[in-house]
Amino acid sequence: MKAPRFAYHAPATLEEALEVLAAEDGARPLAGGQSLVPLLKLRLTRPAALVDLNGVRGLDGIDRDGGDVRVGALVRQQTLLEDDELARSHGLVREAVRYVGYRATRHRGTIGGSLAYAAPWAELPAVSVALDATIEVRSARGERTVRAREFFHDAYTTALAPDELITAVRFGAQPARTGAGFHEVSARFRDYAQAGAAALVTLDDDGRCRDAELVLVRMAGAPHRVEIGDVVRGSRLDDATLDRVVDALGPLDPPDDVQVSGAYRRRVAPVLARRALASAFARAGQGKAA
Amino acid sequence: MSAVGDDRLPVRVTVNGRAYERTVEPRRTLADLLREDLDLTGTHLACEHGFCGNCNVLLDGRTIRSCLLLAVQADGREVTTVEGLAAPDGTLGTLQQAFHDHHGLQCGFCTPAMLLTALELLREQGDEELTDDAIREAISGVTCRCTGYQQIVDAIRAAAAAGAGKEARA
Repeated sequence: MKAPRFAYHAPATLEEALEVLAAEDGARPLAGGQSLVPLLKLRLTRPAALVDLNGVRGLDGIDRDGGDVRVGALVRQQTLLEDDELARSHGLVREAVRYVGYRATRHRGTIGGSLAYAAPWAELPAVSVALDATIEVRSARGERTVRAREFFHDAYTTALAPDELITAVRFGAQPARTGAGFHEVSARFRDYAQAGAAALVTLDDDGRCRDAELVLVRMAGAPHRVEIGDVVRGSRLDDATLDRVVDALGPLDPPDDVQVSGAYRRRVAPVLARRALASAFARAGQGKAA
Repeated sequence: MSAVGDDRLPVRVTVNGRAYERTVEPRRTLADLLREDLDLTGTHLACEHGFCGNCNVLLDGRTIRSCLLLAVQADGREVTTVEGLAAPDGTLGTLQQAFHDHHGLQCGFCTPAMLLTALELLREQGDEELTDDAIREAISGVTCRCTGYQQIVDAIRAAAAAGAGKEARA
């Protein structure tokens, strides 16, 4: 199908983009368009105007300050995948982005778009929660930052107001001896995740777990973070510890959909959690950064 | 640049080395522009919402879904479609010839997108290190309605062996 009519604005600066978003009722930002354009074509959304961010200057850089990395909202998913320095400092990003769409969609899809759209199956929201990222947000009213852990409220529902844009995502420096793992299951290669798990493990000098993060995908509308630091601390992630991690997942109530049932998701969640943690533990032991 | 109501916007785009200038409604996609305004119907539209990948073209040398890019967003860019792959006299390129030799097309509908997707793969990866897994991963984003994937993998592998990667990088 073809999209309904909309007014189109292609500003060159962030200020212009924010002004249009503030001034026009029903104006929506257009980033990579890999989710919004399909919605337009299916006529599931009918914005009065699109504000195309692709020509806005200054949103597509990756800047580093010590171990901190600031990723501009318009950085393409394929760039996230290919950036070797980012893979060294925050390996979870590459581990997860391997599963995002296909190369042809990753060439357009952006990190800011993935977070703002907040699809329940999406990998990058889970990554940002696991890495405790800070999301920079601007509107004509001013700017603010939101912790990723407070940003995702439900499926497609975030802390963003209609006139606000994500401008960048900041990943703080990861501790030494941190490894990352990401696993998901889908019906077809690189199709939407039916369930997934993102994990980080940090080791102490003796090779035992000092800390760990676990975030599940598609167990709820928003990324589902499970506190497991106390469960794994001091262990070598042996089977008994992983059993306790599974117990710590608590009651999960994932949704049914046309592909799989909630019961199936409940069953694979512990499997994916174990795999993600095991991968993260192994990489931490090899001294690879998260 | 702005358009409201029924406004049309100018687009200047180079397709297969030839410059075009048209005016389009903002809601028109690159696929619509190619097929309906430029009569380049080798780019095929199936699902039209980004799922099937049959409309893949190269934008500044990189694969994109042409059904998900607004035509106005291609302003000032270079597009390569399947019409740009053969020599001007119609002689097939190495990759196209390999598809022919290995029965890499049945109904032919997905072939343009498969060719452009494979071309990017061959260009990015050295011919020797091209594994079947890498081929399968690359074409996973293009749906073949005949499910003739095995012959497509065979064709891409043979094209790599015949030096199509070197040709693509030249």
